[in-house]
Amino acid sequence: METKDNVLEIRNLVKDFPGVRAVDNISFDIQRNTIHCLVGENGAGKSTLIKILTGAYMRTSGSILLNGEEFIPRNTREAKQKGISTLFQELNVVDQLTVEENLTLGIEDTTFGFLRKTDKINKMIKVLNSIEPSIKPKQLVSSLSVAKKQIVEIAKAVAAESDIIIMDEPTAAISESEIARLFTIIKSLRDNNVTVIYISHRLDEIFEIGDYVTVMRDGKHIDTKPVAQIQDRSELIKMMIGKTVFEQYTPRESDCPDTILQVSHLSNHRLNDISFDVHTGEIVGFYGLVGAGKTELARAIYGADEYEGEIVFKGKKLTSGPEHAIAAGITLVPEERRSQGLFTILTIRGNIPVMNLSKISRNGIINDAMERNVTLDYVDKLKIATNSIEKEAAKLSGGNQQKVVLSKCLFADADLLMLDEPTRGIDVGAKSEIYSIIRHLSKEGKTIIIFSSELPEVMNICDSIYLLYDGKLKYTQRNGCEVDSEKILHIVTGGD
Amino acid sequence: MLSKQERKPILGGRLSDESFITLFMLGVLVIVFSLACLVVPNFFTIQNIINLITNNWFVIILGIGVTFLLITGNFDMSVGGTIALTGVLSVYFCQGVNVSRNVLANGLGLPYVVAVCLALLCAMGVGGLNAFFVARLKVPSIIVTLGTMMLARGIAQVITQGAQRNTSLPPEFGFLGSVGIPGTTIRLSLMVMIALIILSFLFEKKTVNARRIYLIGANPVAARLSGINVAKYLTWLYVLSALLAGITGILLASEFKAGVSSRATGYEFDALVIALLGGVSIAGGFGSVLGMFVGALILSVVTSAATGLLLSPDWQYILKAVVTFIAILAQRFALDKRRG
Amino acid sequence: MTNATKEIFQMKTERSETIRSYIKRYYIYLVLVLIVYTFSMMKLDEVEFFGRGHFLSPDSVINILRSAVPILTISGAFTLLMISGYIDLSVGSALSLNAVVFSWLILNGVSFLPSFVITVILGCVLGLFNGYLVMILRITPVIATLVTLSLYKGLALLIVPDGLSAIKGSAEVPMPGWINDYGRKDVLLGLPAAFWFTVFIILVLVIIQRKTILGKYTAAIGGNRLAAELSGISPVKIVLILYTLVGIAAALAGIARASYMSLGDPLSGDGMETACIIAVLLGGTAFSGGEGSVAKTMVGAIIIVCVTTGLMTVIPAYWQTLAMGSVLLIAVVINHLLVKGSTKG
Repeated sequence: METKDNVLEIRNLVKDFPGVRAVDNISFDIQRNTIHCLVGENGAGKSTLIKILTGAYMRTSGSILLNGEEFIPRNTREAKQKGISTLFQELNVVDQLTVEENLTLGIEDTTFGFLRKTDKINKMIKVLNSIEPSIKPKQLVSSLSVAKKQIVEIAKAVAAESDIIIMDEPTAAISESEIARLFTIIKSLRDNNVTVIYISHRLDEIFEIGDYVTVMRDGKHIDTKPVAQIQDRSELIKMMIGKTVFEQYTPRESDCPDTILQVSHLSNHRLNDISFDVHTGEIVGFYGLVGAGKTELARAIYGADEYEGEIVFKGKKLTSGPEHAIAAGITLVPEERRSQGLFTILTIRGNIPVMNLSKISRNGIINDAMERNVTLDYVDKLKIATNSIEKEAAKLSGGNQQKVVLSKCLFADADLLMLDEPTRGIDVGAKSEIYSIIRHLSKEGKTIIIFSSELPEVMNICDSIYLLYDGKLKYTQRNGCEVDSEKILHIVTGGD
Repeated sequence: MLSKQERKPILGGRLSDESFITLFMLGVLVIVFSLACLVVPNFFTIQNIINLITNNWFVIILGIGVTFLLITGNFDMSVGGTIALTGVLSVYFCQGVNVSRNVLANGLGLPYVVAVCLALLCAMGVGGLNAFFVARLKVPSIIVTLGTMMLARGIAQVITQGAQRNTSLPPEFGFLGSVGIPGTTIRLSLMVMIALIILSFLFEKKTVNARRIYLIGANPVAARLSGINVAKYLTWLYVLSALLAGITGILLASEFKAGVSSRATGYEFDALVIALLGGVSIAGGFGSVLGMFVGALILSVVTSAATGLLLSPDWQYILKAVVTFIAILAQRFALDKRRG
Repeated sequence: MTNATKEIFQMKTERSETIRSYIKRYYIYLVLVLIVYTFSMMKLDEVEFFGRGHFLSPDSVINILRSAVPILTISGAFTLLMISGYIDLSVGSALSLNAVVFSWLILNGVSFLPSFVITVILGCVLGLFNGYLVMILRITPVIATLVTLSLYKGLALLIVPDGLSAIKGSAEVPMPGWINDYGRKDVLLGLPAAFWFTVFIILVLVIIQRKTILGKYTAAIGGNRLAAELSGISPVKIVLILYTLVGIAAALAGIARASYMSLGDPLSGDGMETACIIAVLLGGTAFSGGEGSVAKTMVGAIIIVCVTTGLMTVIPAYWQTLAMGSVLLIAVVINHLLVKGSTKG
């Protein structure tokens, strides 16, 4: 048995949230100076684990040993001080400062308040130079591309002598050549005494740079293996999916041939020439992982973002702006319910009727009784758990909040309902309730488009499955018994 | 699960936070009023109490527009300038043509009604300008409306050469400012104010458009995604606010039979103060016109108590600041306590 | 987008950023030159302020620079505060209050240096109070400083005895003549000590912005508050310091104004906040924070002073408000065009 030098040891780690166990008793090691990949579908527990490592969450139980010592960071700064730096998807650089200033932010040397150029700065510039010489220290960060901003963050972490650098989906927003450059950098990090924890759903990348890979599923640790010992993508995919039993999908009784939505050559900063048709009464599922472009597609159809191309709904071209989409008969349950879907300072009653106020009013005057009745109806129908419709929306649980947003959209009585990540962060009970609501709506003749990064969700209820990767529509097929979940995962992780 | 009981009208049900704050400030009004009665000689007279409302009718009208804009999270500091502008224009437009060698006595000779309408149109133009900068260019409203305030007042100053215009007016000019219910001191301006308050209160509580205004303030992103055209509503509100200021300007000019370029200096600040006193929150989505009205009364009591105590008018600045400051903190405290 | 397109797009963006930043950096000097040129072309013989001569005659320049002292002092510190994303609308009233207190002290027998120091300490307190309201009590900056605008104005008005319009000398108690020494008397090149001290202050502020950790943290907080906090910066501490600096600047400006006019006028600061805002806007500071330059604001301030003094003589006084309002709105548009292109993450 070779003695392993583990930089990080995780033992029986558990993290509970009300109603859900996000991290379920996981144990594995990360060896020093390796590139250790972390894979798993949405909801597998990867991001929760990372948040515990960076101090954003407190673990419920279990232990983490960093360099042999107990590691319980209370916030990201503490984690950084102890040696774990993180590159989040939201860049943590100050655009208005120069590269040099960003590198030294928070750790400057001063004499009586005056910034001094010391060896520390020179060292950092040397580190940056060795990673990417084309970035000049005096450049403003705002003039850098996303990829180069990432590199600045990496340089900062390296210069801070972090033992571990965590990278969360770093390739989501950068081009192929930039990815190649990033990989060279990552490899040289490993060769220079840094351990990299690399989270990505792009399986090809795992095979390209990973030394080890840990697969998580449903909050549990499935396996940790050297990448060299893994045969191919499908073995990895099998580990990611496991024996998940998909509910039997009930095929549609009759097909409606009418096309209700026609999207032609839709493109914008994130989407690339997407075209598809949706038929009346269908439940369509767009499946893809982080950065695939799901939200951008939903927002473009809804008119919330600009795009090139044409969208025809019920025979008429759509003009931009959510108010036109709603008037035409399209509604959207947005991705972030707290910041985009709800009015958190208002009550349930204040939230539900907002998209169709004319229906609870006469001559522009709101009818209180109708408002209350409508709200109570939806609370009943969707089983929103509350003892009063006057409860502040902010105080509801995630599942109930989502039901309020759903009620809001349902009340708009649209023909096409779009849902962006409809069950993210929601407990199992509320999840299945929402699914049955969706099925019920479809029976009533409504058309539904779901944008999701959870495969079971898409496979359980959708009639058609559309796969997105990197802003492109890669594949479509009708749902049924012959659907191969491995093939699907293969495509959304970058395969062909 | 909710029982069918809930479907009956809510009597004594849970008060909304807005109503709570309005009641809270009403309580503050009572306390402040009582204190004033104790401390200030001859404060508790019928005439004095009536004056509390009638002396501030103009600020209350302004407060309506300012309140609704604050609910969306925006300021309107241009209203004082708009009052001056409309007043001056209403005079200039209907002054006799070429009646005198004094430039300030000559105007455009239009009929009074036309002059009033044109002046109000100009006021709405100021509102439109505000809306352009705030809704289209997305410039912070405090800066923009300071600029348009100076623009409006500046035009008034130019037309009056820094003073006022008050000659060669048609006889009907003073009508609006002096007409009232015979036998009482109730004049048109007061009736207009009361009517506007009642209308805006009904508007705020009951209409769809008001509901959308609150939604914009509560969460502008969600409002847009819920189909509300935020830019359109902001434009309407700024034009409305300017129109209210314009109406006030017309009435004041008629009352004093003069268009004075220095009229209404500082009124925008007072309008902001009474809105804040009334519980309107700059964070958006919260506040009530009725609360603003209570706030106006509180300010009235404080300022007239100061006059009654023979304090010099310079004290007003300090009093307004202190009262606003205490009100903001007290409201915050009360709401925190209520939400537990 | 294909990868090739992505990269070309990146390169194009990086290049247009450079052109834009060139315009941003230098346009203001162009404006200054234009303004000065326009005024120097005008016939100003009749006007005493300009020394009965040319706009650029020595007497004229001296008068302009002397009256520019208050705005130059305040708008520098004001710029730093705005870079951090915060605002102080009470600077005008603070100036008035400081001017009143200073002249009151002098009139009542306190000698120059102690009066100076006491007033500066008062300025500190006023600024700290603003910072306290905004950062500790967490009241919105606009509302908090509008309230203190009123408060400080009221205090200034109170100190002036009823019946008088300002703290000034009278037959019984004359204002000592040496009060002018600081703000008006020629010390070097025709300019008073107040001016040279202001130059010093400006240099200090420019150095603070470019070379000290305070300047850097100010930009960091305004640019990306979260990133700043993650790096261990405490916004509360930094912004409190900035508000105090503005308070001190207002005190220095008030002292200079009182010294120049030999009296303490409680309304002397009216409109200062508007002038500062215009200067800052012209200088390209963004409202959202993160960007700005003390040096460019200074140029903006000079432009404003030229415009107001120039206009003051060329057009009747009652055109002033309209002119200032128009300049403010034009500055808003200019600022909008300048700042629009900058990326914000």
